[in-house]
Amino acid sequence: MEVDLQAVRRVFEDVLNGCMLREQADRWAHAVVQQEETGVVTYAPPRERERIWAGVMYLYGIDMMTAPNAYLHTNDDIRRGMTASIGVIGDEVPNDNSTVS
Amino acid sequence: MTIDDLRSNMDAASLGVSHSLGATTEPSAFAAAVVPLRQIPPTHPNHPLSPERLRQIDRVFFGPFFREKYGAGGDRALENSRIRYYSPVQPTSNAGELAGRRYVHEFDTATGLTRGWHETLDRMGNVRQIRPERLDGTKRHYQFDGNGRYKGSW
Repeated sequence: MEVDLQAVRRVFEDVLNGCMLREQADRWAHAVVQQEETGVVTYAPPRERERIWAGVMYLYGIDMMTAPNAYLHTNDDIRRGMTASIGVIGDEVPNDNSTVS
Repeated sequence: MTIDDLRSNMDAASLGVSHSLGATTEPSAFAAAVVPLRQIPPTHPNHPLSPERLRQIDRVFFGPFFREKYGAGGDRALENSRIRYYSPVQPTSNAGELAGRRYVHEFDTATGLTRGWHETLDRMGNVRQIRPERLDGTKRHYQFDGNGRYKGSW
């Protein structure tokens, strides 16, 4: 399994654009973490491993909730998390709605 | 019931327990690189390891496996031969008294088993919610009050 920075960025942006559920983003990250545990993940390019992993670990658990149907994170949180982890700023996305649709 | 009671009672299988790479008994298809090990003082037999000692051993032998991946937010050696690695707290601006969430990865140095869960923290640093995951992907949130007393789950 190969993971690159663009793939991680795409997941962030899909979540922020409403094209991907947070639960799906969490499952994607979970799959990467599981694969990493078995040692079959490669990072492209290898020098970006740290940023890629930071992005994956942000996405893992991104669907945490404070109550049923209420996410812990706002879209602004996620936008900041994306910038802090993978260091890129995504395209413009709609303003936040942190409740489950 | 407290947070630690709940963690202790959780069925290992429900938390996605897996054998760590370092503890596998499968023969490797590749020759292992020879890496000189750092010397650490010997341990007396039948003497329980102190958290400090456990941490020292962990740093020498296991650190690269877990700390780099899961311990960017710190680590803590427990009395029961387990070490917990904490991701950085991912802040929230949406949840009142809650400060954010982090992932916790626990390694049992006695068995080689690992497990992990997500937890949310309040602004005082108390764990207010933990979310383990079953092998079938089922997630459940367990909530606690500011004193660590179990409030309920959903």
